[in-house]
Amino acid sequence: MLEVAPVNPLRTGLPQEGITTPCSAVFFGASGDLFKRMLLPALYSMHLQGMLPAAFALVGFSRTAFTDDTFRDYCRKQLDLFMPQDRKPQGPLWDDFAKRISYVTGDFTDKAHFVALKDRLAQNDTEFGTAGNHLFYLATPPPVFPEIIKRLKEAGLDKDPKGWTRVVVEKPFGTDLESARKLQQTIEAVFPENEIYRIDHYLGKEPVQDIIALRFANTIFEPIWNRNYVQNIQITSAESLGVEERGGYYDSAGALRDMIQNHVINLLALVAMEAPISSHADDIRNEKYKVLSAIRPPSHGDVWSISARGQYGAGTIDGAPVIGYRQEHDVAPDSNTETFAAVKLMVESWRWAGVPFYLRSGKRLPRKVSEIAVTFKPIPHRFYGEATDKIDPNVLVIKIEPDEGISMRFEAKVPGPKEHIRSVFMDFSYGTGFGVVSPPAYERLIGDAIQGDQTLFTRWDAVERAWEIVTPVLEVWQHTKDFTFPNYAAGSQGPHSAQQLFPDWRRI
Amino acid sequence: MSFGLVLQQLDESARERGGGVYVATMTIVVFFEDAAIGALARDRIHTLAAKHPSRVILFDATQTEGTHHVEGDDWIELGAKGSNAETLRGAANALRLAEAPVILLWIAPGIGDDERFCELSRDARTVVYNSSLVDAGNAALRQLVEYVKRHPELPLADIAYLRLAPWQESVAILFDGEESPELLDLTRVEIACGSDPEGLYLLGWLASRLNWKPGSAETLTGPDGKAIAFAIRRQGEPRRIARVALTSTHSTFVAEVDPHGEMINLSVTGGHAKPPRLRAINNPGVAALVERAILSSQNDRVFQASLAAAGGILASGTPSR
Repeated sequence: MLEVAPVNPLRTGLPQEGITTPCSAVFFGASGDLFKRMLLPALYSMHLQGMLPAAFALVGFSRTAFTDDTFRDYCRKQLDLFMPQDRKPQGPLWDDFAKRISYVTGDFTDKAHFVALKDRLAQNDTEFGTAGNHLFYLATPPPVFPEIIKRLKEAGLDKDPKGWTRVVVEKPFGTDLESARKLQQTIEAVFPENEIYRIDHYLGKEPVQDIIALRFANTIFEPIWNRNYVQNIQITSAESLGVEERGGYYDSAGALRDMIQNHVINLLALVAMEAPISSHADDIRNEKYKVLSAIRPPSHGDVWSISARGQYGAGTIDGAPVIGYRQEHDVAPDSNTETFAAVKLMVESWRWAGVPFYLRSGKRLPRKVSEIAVTFKPIPHRFYGEATDKIDPNVLVIKIEPDEGISMRFEAKVPGPKEHIRSVFMDFSYGTGFGVVSPPAYERLIGDAIQGDQTLFTRWDAVERAWEIVTPVLEVWQHTKDFTFPNYAAGSQGPHSAQQLFPDWRRI
Repeated sequence: MSFGLVLQQLDESARERGGGVYVATMTIVVFFEDAAIGALARDRIHTLAAKHPSRVILFDATQTEGTHHVEGDDWIELGAKGSNAETLRGAANALRLAEAPVILLWIAPGIGDDERFCELSRDARTVVYNSSLVDAGNAALRQLVEYVKRHPELPLADIAYLRLAPWQESVAILFDGEESPELLDLTRVEIACGSDPEGLYLLGWLASRLNWKPGSAETLTGPDGKAIAFAIRRQGEPRRIARVALTSTHSTFVAEVDPHGEMINLSVTGGHAKPPRLRAINNPGVAALVERAILSSQNDRVFQASLAAAGGILASGTPSR
């Protein structure tokens, strides 16, 4: 049984400046790209802001041979590369951070190396007061997740009598429904759900969190947030980039697995869920799961009528020629992998009956844009006679990337004696509205994991349901070679089949 | 004061800006009567208004009443030398945004008998004061304590208190976990700081959290009747804490700023000795402190209790300076 720490009366009512929970954070895959580009800079930035707990230690774990000292040097070099000019690692603050860094060279299949890790964590508890609280962050390629989980158990690292243990699992959570269930079985055999933090860094972005504020901190939207007023909802996550260095991974994944199954469906859940009874993690996650449960996965026979796929060929992005997908490094020259995916989903609930949700994601589209567009129904009465047909519907756009904000389209009369109606746009941008850059998603998510707040992490039931929704599409696509690939030029709006699925996509 | 011309200029600026979107979160009303302070205030309010788009009404008591200056469609400066309380309130009400809350920044010494402060604060959602602005002594804090006693409903935030956040956090860290029982065993508190209000607030905060009552000019009394000696001495830059030391029967807990003013060194020596720790100090600028006041402080009960406790300590004999 855990000993409960005495309450510190000085904390009562004190606005929390930083995280107070002591913690040793272990990063598996510490020599990898994710750690050096995203996680380490996030941790150091938190340290500079005084956000990390005073009792904190960082342990790197990977196959690459480092000593504690050479790993500290490695971390410093990466921070020199990836931190902004005014926040480079230097001086006593870096020294204080560096002394909390240690490293275990280890094979993910070798129990002995996990025993060494256990010794290191015990040492941290003594040296840095980390109180037996251990955060294990799986920043490795997904295939080694099960090995790590099993070794943690074998080494007795699945629990500590003095503190808590949490495991952060990076996406993708499985490559299909079956593998996700298998991974879940492996993890849940060792860790209960309240110790598992499935990370989707999209959910740490400020505008994604603002969806909840927009819907539930205002009274004007919720009454019209339903089938009576909404015509359709489009969720877009588009990139102008190709697969870059990730050809090997991407060719076995594709746009549906890489983006729709996780990021995009998570956005759908936030937009479509009912009002949670509170802002507590499980109240929100209950509603997310309920709305995903209301989406009936398509039958295999329906797949072609509710989906479109594409693969980019050579084209032009920002005026520069770019190669096609099949010419990318580590991509099969006859690849059948989709780089564009679009699906139409129906939420079969009282609120959303009959309202289509159009989801799309793709690479090598004209620009990077992530947004949710809620298109409202036309006005019900032909007030302007034939001119009524020219009146555009109202559209509310929640902009996630690259601009963060909210935009509303509505109709207004052009000044003058005639009844000319035209669309005007009301824009709220976080950049100008609050004049501040949103904090990086990883800082928020790492902080939440240390503090035990699971709100922005995906619960297993939602992950499983998202896989169930996309699985029929995946299966049909996998078993049907698309001889039209490549079927859209880099820099275009996507394949023609997407326009057939839904002609009114917003322009990217 | 006549506002017709001011309003006309605002309208013209809005038309020049074009049909874009207008975002505003509040009306900031600022009062100052010292040119140097006014220059600093302008700079900081610009920073604040860049983050939280606002209409700004600056009452500049170094300029004659009737003069005005308008920048863009949201920045208004009005001469307020010799203006009486009703005139100022009338101007603020005429020029404020109708739907947005009013935040009053009073950047002037003395509020005790100042009708202008009293009138302007009546319409404010948050009143931001700075009891260590004008000098390092405790006269402004004494006035504030007295004013709040007479106007307990004042939605007040004091920059001098808000500035303590890194120190409150650092002192709290020293007593997290198994060290917290030591708080009941404290026998002495020493605070070194560059001006009195911060030191008194920090001591007041400790007293309010630990249920210490004023004893004499140099002691507080714990809930068990035990005396806790205290000393506040001047050291370092004005408006900055330099060192806090809390002594218990077994140990001494110290939070101390490093020579560069960038970090707070945390140490515990004696029976419960611990390895030293460091914390980035992150002294927030005034604009950030005002933002904090606006976002979170109007119902801050810990602040209210700390102010009341600081008032009690002052009343028990701490000399005026």
